[in-house]
Amino acid sequence: MGETLNALLHGFAVALTPMNLLWGFIGVTVGTAVGVLPGVGPALTVAMLLPLTVKLDPTGALIMFAGIYYGAMFGGSTTTILLNTPGESASIATALEGNKMAKRGRAGPALATAAIGSFVAGTIATALLTLLAPLVVEIALKFGPAEYFALMVFAFTTVAAVLGSSTARGLASLFLGLLFGLVGIDGQTGAPRFAFGVPELLDGIDVVVLAVGLFAVGEALYMAAYTSRLPETMEQLSGSLMMSKEDWKRSWPAWLRATGIGFPFGTIPAGGAEIPTFLSYAVEKKLSKHPEEFGKGAIEGVAGPEAANNASATGVLVPLLTLGIPTSATAAILLGAFQNYGIQPGPLLFQSQADLVWGLIASLYVGNVLLLILNLPLVGIWVKVLQIPRPMLYGGILVFATLGAYSLHQSWVDLVTLYVFGLLGFAMRRFDIPVAPSVIGLILGPIAETQFRRALSISQGDASVFLTQPISAAFLAVTALLVVVPWVLRRRARKLPTESA
Amino acid sequence: MRRAAAEIALSAGVLGLGAFAAVVTATLPGEGGYAGFGPNFVPAVVSAGLLATGAWLLWEALAGGWRNRGEPEAGAEHPFHASAFWWITAGLAAHMALIGWAGFVVAGTVLFACVARGFGSARAARDAALGFALSLAVFAFFVKLLNVNLPAGWLQPLLGSAGI
Repeated sequence: MGETLNALLHGFAVALTPMNLLWGFIGVTVGTAVGVLPGVGPALTVAMLLPLTVKLDPTGALIMFAGIYYGAMFGGSTTTILLNTPGESASIATALEGNKMAKRGRAGPALATAAIGSFVAGTIATALLTLLAPLVVEIALKFGPAEYFALMVFAFTTVAAVLGSSTARGLASLFLGLLFGLVGIDGQTGAPRFAFGVPELLDGIDVVVLAVGLFAVGEALYMAAYTSRLPETMEQLSGSLMMSKEDWKRSWPAWLRATGIGFPFGTIPAGGAEIPTFLSYAVEKKLSKHPEEFGKGAIEGVAGPEAANNASATGVLVPLLTLGIPTSATAAILLGAFQNYGIQPGPLLFQSQADLVWGLIASLYVGNVLLLILNLPLVGIWVKVLQIPRPMLYGGILVFATLGAYSLHQSWVDLVTLYVFGLLGFAMRRFDIPVAPSVIGLILGPIAETQFRRALSISQGDASVFLTQPISAAFLAVTALLVVVPWVLRRRARKLPTESA
Repeated sequence: MRRAAAEIALSAGVLGLGAFAAVVTATLPGEGGYAGFGPNFVPAVVSAGLLATGAWLLWEALAGGWRNRGEPEAGAEHPFHASAFWWITAGLAAHMALIGWAGFVVAGTVLFACVARGFGSARAARDAALGFALSLAVFAFFVKLLNVNLPAGWLQPLLGSAGI
């Protein structure tokens, strides 16, 4: 406990140096500005802004990235409330009530409860991260390759097969990502795989190219082909941003409950913030003293999901930092950013690069404060950003998207890859195939393979090692249960009516 | 009907990709050292996974369509604008072709104008001007401030030797 506090204080010393403070400030500002853009979710924001940090030292770059990550979440809520076009699935719950409030002329309080709620939830969640991370690290230090591999199988299975609307489509997405992850040089033997002699492919497929292709190019193709000829309405931001006493009274409990729901969901591989935001919405609807307002603009319906969204975004950092396991598409891209600096998140990072990790965690507290100070006063600017006409907006997005891919090797080959991923993203969007398993598969696949082969090297090729080590066996058993139990339940549910008939 | 055809095509695509991956995997070395599992083991698992999920999806598509397909919100019922799709594709293709010799700014200008056209903008000259201004600003920022190499291309005489 005292040790953690010490480490955190040390982290603040890192995060509060003028330069790092500046990077954090730039990160939250740029992150919010880009996150506000309609159709640009946090994953794309982080991926598109990755080239900005190329010349920074790792600590500065990661602090800037944490700022971008938080800023993008913040910016997204403004878009959702004023425009009713959720940039990502986690914002859908906010849109339900937030846009209704804006329609009734209460856009100001809706934005305020989202912003303050994000601050409250983000800060509490960061405190929980601070307390929880050292404990997880202690457990994770006992993990060998077999345990890591079993844990990754667990993560793959929950993200791809258990969550989402279809196991078949989730698994297809995961295996596509794993296939892309195989491209390049095999880390263990140096054998080239799936590169076909193309030098750009020998380096492997960069997570930025996949993410930007799926999220930016795919989205642009989809929006242009299906929605570009539709009229769009934006709610006016009129009146005060201030929340009334009544608003405060109704927001507080929602923020706190949502933090309790969002944070744990973030820490487990549960596919990001989608489930906790809807759960929080349902809880608030049930507990509200004004259930009749739901569907017409109830403030709890904004306060809860927004806080849950932010708490889960922070929770995601627990497995990312302590185990090196990304549980959302955005976290997968953040892991890519770490790898660009040759840093592998995991328990050892807390020992070998304590400055960096604790500086990063401290910067999360700082980022939350910066966002609170910045956002409400600057809301006028964000509204202006929202008014950029679609043709200009997507023109600009694609100029940035291609820049990120091209700057990898200064080669048009990466641009071809980008377009292919764009087509894939278009099809996935159109046919309801989840994207996150692909992104996570790409980045986590090679790590899982390394751990798999390492474990087998240690056991001299004896594959039973995954079942004889207790922790590994437990992870695999839970994974199997997660797959089998829902399947059995579904079959029984299907059988029962026929038996009674 | 068209949706069913597309689902069958996509499922077949996954299946085909799995078959392709399996063929490539057969050419990979299998020597695994102490582990006994070489560089071809995980590719074989992934190929099998793609083949299995492809077959599963194909079965679903043929037996009543993919399961639990959420109605894709906005745009689902709207007609497909082929011209919009192709304008963006054309913009990206032109960008790939141009960036190496015409330079980042020229390629960015063309891309921006094509994408704007795809989204229904009718003012090509204004779009090109905006695209030029944005690309130039991005170029200056990345090359001068961040020292990232981007090709100056045709504008080399104008932009000096900062680009490559």
